Amino acid sequence: MAVIELSDIVKRFKDATVLDGISLSADEGETLVLFGPSGAGKTVLLRLIAGVVEPDAGNVRLGGRDMRDVPPEARNVGMAFQNFALFPHMTAYDNIASPLAARRSAAERVREGVERVARLLKIDHVLHHSPRALSNGQKQRTALARALAGSPAVLLLDDPLRNVDAKLRFEMRLELPRLLAAERATTLYVTQDYREAMALGDRIAVMLRGRIAQLGTPEEIYLAPASLEIARLFGDPTINVLDVTPERDAEGPFVRLSRLRAPIDPGLDRAVGRPCALGLRPEAIRFVEAGQRGAIPVTIEAETPLNEKTVTLATTARGREILVSRPSGTSAPTEGLAHIAVDSAHALLFDRETGLRILPEGKRADVRGAAA
Amino acid sequence: MDHASRLERILRGIAIAAMVLFFMFPIFWILLMSFQTNETILRNPPSMAFAPTLSNYAALLTGRLDTAAGTLDIDFMQNLKNSVILSVFSVAVALLLGVPAAYAFARHKFRGSEDIAFTLLSFRFAPPLLVVLPLALYFQDIGLADTYIGLIWVYQLICLPLILWIVRGYFEDISPDVEYAYRIAGHSWFATFRRIALPLAGPGIAAAGLLAFIFAWNNFVFALVLGSADKQPVTVGALAFVTASGIQYGQIAAAVVLSIAPTLALAIYAQRYLVEGLSLGAVKG
Amino acid sequence: MNEPLLVLERVDKVYDPDSAHPVRAVQGLDMRVHAGEIVALLGSSGCGKTSTLRMIAGFEEVTAGSIRLKGREIHRLAPARRGVAMAFEGYSLYPPLTVRENIAFALKSARLKREEVDRRVREIAHLLEIEDILERYPSSISGGQQQRASLGRALIRHADLHLLDEPMGQLEPQLRALLRGRIKHHVKERGLTAILVTHDQTEANALADRIAVMEGGVLQQFATPAALKEAPANLFTGTFIGEPPMNVFAAEARGGSGRLRLRLDHGSELDYPEDAFEAGVRARMLECRRIVLGVRPHAVSVAAEGHAGPLRARVTANQWLGDQTHIAAEFAGGLLVAVEHHRAAVRPGETIGIAFAADDLHVFDAESGAALSHGGRAA
Repeated sequence: MAVIELSDIVKRFKDATVLDGISLSADEGETLVLFGPSGAGKTVLLRLIAGVVEPDAGNVRLGGRDMRDVPPEARNVGMAFQNFALFPHMTAYDNIASPLAARRSAAERVREGVERVARLLKIDHVLHHSPRALSNGQKQRTALARALAGSPAVLLLDDPLRNVDAKLRFEMRLELPRLLAAERATTLYVTQDYREAMALGDRIAVMLRGRIAQLGTPEEIYLAPASLEIARLFGDPTINVLDVTPERDAEGPFVRLSRLRAPIDPGLDRAVGRPCALGLRPEAIRFVEAGQRGAIPVTIEAETPLNEKTVTLATTARGREILVSRPSGTSAPTEGLAHIAVDSAHALLFDRETGLRILPEGKRADVRGAAA
Repeated sequence: MDHASRLERILRGIAIAAMVLFFMFPIFWILLMSFQTNETILRNPPSMAFAPTLSNYAALLTGRLDTAAGTLDIDFMQNLKNSVILSVFSVAVALLLGVPAAYAFARHKFRGSEDIAFTLLSFRFAPPLLVVLPLALYFQDIGLADTYIGLIWVYQLICLPLILWIVRGYFEDISPDVEYAYRIAGHSWFATFRRIALPLAGPGIAAAGLLAFIFAWNNFVFALVLGSADKQPVTVGALAFVTASGIQYGQIAAAVVLSIAPTLALAIYAQRYLVEGLSLGAVKG
Repeated sequence: MNEPLLVLERVDKVYDPDSAHPVRAVQGLDMRVHAGEIVALLGSSGCGKTSTLRMIAGFEEVTAGSIRLKGREIHRLAPARRGVAMAFEGYSLYPPLTVRENIAFALKSARLKREEVDRRVREIAHLLEIEDILERYPSSISGGQQQRASLGRALIRHADLHLLDEPMGQLEPQLRALLRGRIKHHVKERGLTAILVTHDQTEANALADRIAVMEGGVLQQFATPAALKEAPANLFTGTFIGEPPMNVFAAEARGGSGRLRLRLDHGSELDYPEDAFEAGVRARMLECRRIVLGVRPHAVSVAAEGHAGPLRARVTANQWLGDQTHIAAEFAGGLLVAVEHHRAAVRPGETIGIAFAADDLHVFDAESGAALSHGGRAA
């Protein structure tokens, strides 16, 4: 059953439309990630569900109940803020206890509840500190504990890992799924980090300029992005984009890369003659020996390690820059001339004018969303 | 690199000493005067050497003023009591009305809210004489002339704008997210106002209340026109020392010392609130 | 052999030396930077990296020790006379000047020919993708663009030494990998020498030939990115360098009957043939009693239960990031992290078999934190 249902939500501030017809639903226990650059309207949407902002049009339903005129305190949601928003004059314990205290639970029950989430988040040793005595990581965990303490049906997490350091962010990213599964809450998670989005989301809603540009599983969004803009938001290094105009010969449609013929999906026949952008993920490009079929000569400009990968910047004979990524530890040429090969099965073709992806014909249109 | 040279440090010390001397000297001189008789005060040239006397204070406390021309009854203690009553109740009423209003202005931006807030502040700009004469006439008609309630009402012109504007700033400094978080945790807006907004703006409210108290205490014109002798505060009461037989400097000085003592004590006590209030911003979030 | 371009010798920096709590920001720093090298000062905030940079630039006095540039003592010279170009953290563009004027500023004061200035500005603008904002003012461009403009101003000069303070922190994520590659190429091609300060190891790894890891004002290790990864000098560097971070377990070593058994604190035992470790290393491990084992996430082999080895772990998360999979599992009382370069099929809740090859094992003395061995060979 859908626990969160949004239909045609519109929100304007002054003359700017920040949410432009958002419809979205999340099932019980699901983690739905709202991903997008800043200014896309993610935070406003979250606040609208929490009830601290009112929509100009459209409808919010939580647990099947219309939330019009229902104040925030009666919505049974928990929320963690990007800036933590801890109550500075209360201890960590009282912060976490606030949702339980609001229900006038017995002191014993409150204590049990606070200790349960505090143990889960490993902050049981700092419960009697005031927020200003907590480290950034502890503040973030306290804020999360407070959101969870009331066992809300809906959990709203507004970029909760934004303001903690890289190591902690990584740890929390691995820990969060277990935590969310244990709480069984339906979760909306806002982030600008594509890794967080892919790691945590059962589904991801990509928001651009107040609209949902694509809604799908991490796999759908990474492998079958609806537009070039979305493709560029996922992946590090960013997807390579080459301007091409597909052609056709007896063997079928193809594109030219450095004058070499690179076949593309036969279903893309209708793109022939149209100005297109070819998207190539850096990990879909390999270094190969000279003389191999389809090998494109390049000059290596620089090699830059990135996490457990090595990224190579190479330029083709025509001066086009290409990023190639491979697992670190694997061998490859590091300077001078080299050859690369492209797995054109992994190539994505976009219409250069509209930026939308050209789907191969005969395949199911596996991409939903407002891109159409 | 802030390595101030020795010369710089010395010059800075001298400048500060000069400032302190300039501002503190009148208070110091008044204090000396309050322990002298009129004769020693009016000596020429003035001198620091004199035999201290408590006669000025005695006169104020007993309410009997012995002058060369005879004995005069003054009711300075009643004036002091009036000052306390007027200031305390004016500030109390202003806090009761002003703090919720400040919260509303800080949190709810509605059409014209800025104009209303500014209109309230503009009452502080108008010369008191402009409003005091019409008010005197109205008060005669509706029976508020020469009552505590009437004066406390008029004192709101002084206290309310002050509290409204200072406290509004403090409320605005509290991140709305902190209040949202409390509401989402399941508390009503009123509980949020009471448990989050009020305590966090507490130092600011205390500072504003204190300032309002000092302004109310120092008010002169409203009380002079709208109150009669038995409702007048010390500021007006001090006029009684300008007698037919001369100005009683010694008693005036003693009266001034007694009347600034409470506000001075309050100001010193509240200094830490002011400091706390200013550093509140650092713990937001 | 010629002296290196930049030599720091026993450099100390103490703030408030006369106060009750003097702050020892940098302690006994020895560092040599060769011409044409890119060096990163890496550490968390307060580790002394920025103080070091500011001492080289001349914005901070040296408490003790000496700094030599091209064989000339510079630590008493005024900043302008040191032949050093510095880009500050944040953007620090001059607001009344356009981006072009900002970038050309240093060249203009050096009295270069107009055509030469134009050519170099064009070149650097192309490199940093700021050609379309050259005539705009700093206040009207985004944070990422400001950072790129500020980088351009630093890179256009050809000074003896370029100092860059957090040069890329605000860059747009979509441009980061590309610009890192281009900037590295640009600096290498011109043979420039650069020292950059950063708290972001990804940036340090990507750009630097050698990285100086600092903590608590002390240089922990100064080595190439690969050496930092394969042979960290101590537990701090070992756990600090690497994304995701190294897995560590407290353990005790036991020998006998041709085997070396490493007993983890939470019960599991790793069992290796004795000769997987050099004899000297073995002796040190047995002598130390308490040791810490470290395994990089990409060196953890994950397989179906019972396949990879006798060790078991319960999966808590399997996170696919497009070109990598991060797997977290409960193991030895903590969280074990493994990185695979393909999509892994394991699901949360499953029990898996894991193994660590002796070749991938880093061993540290638990007490001092010093490294004992890397892959069985003495550290």
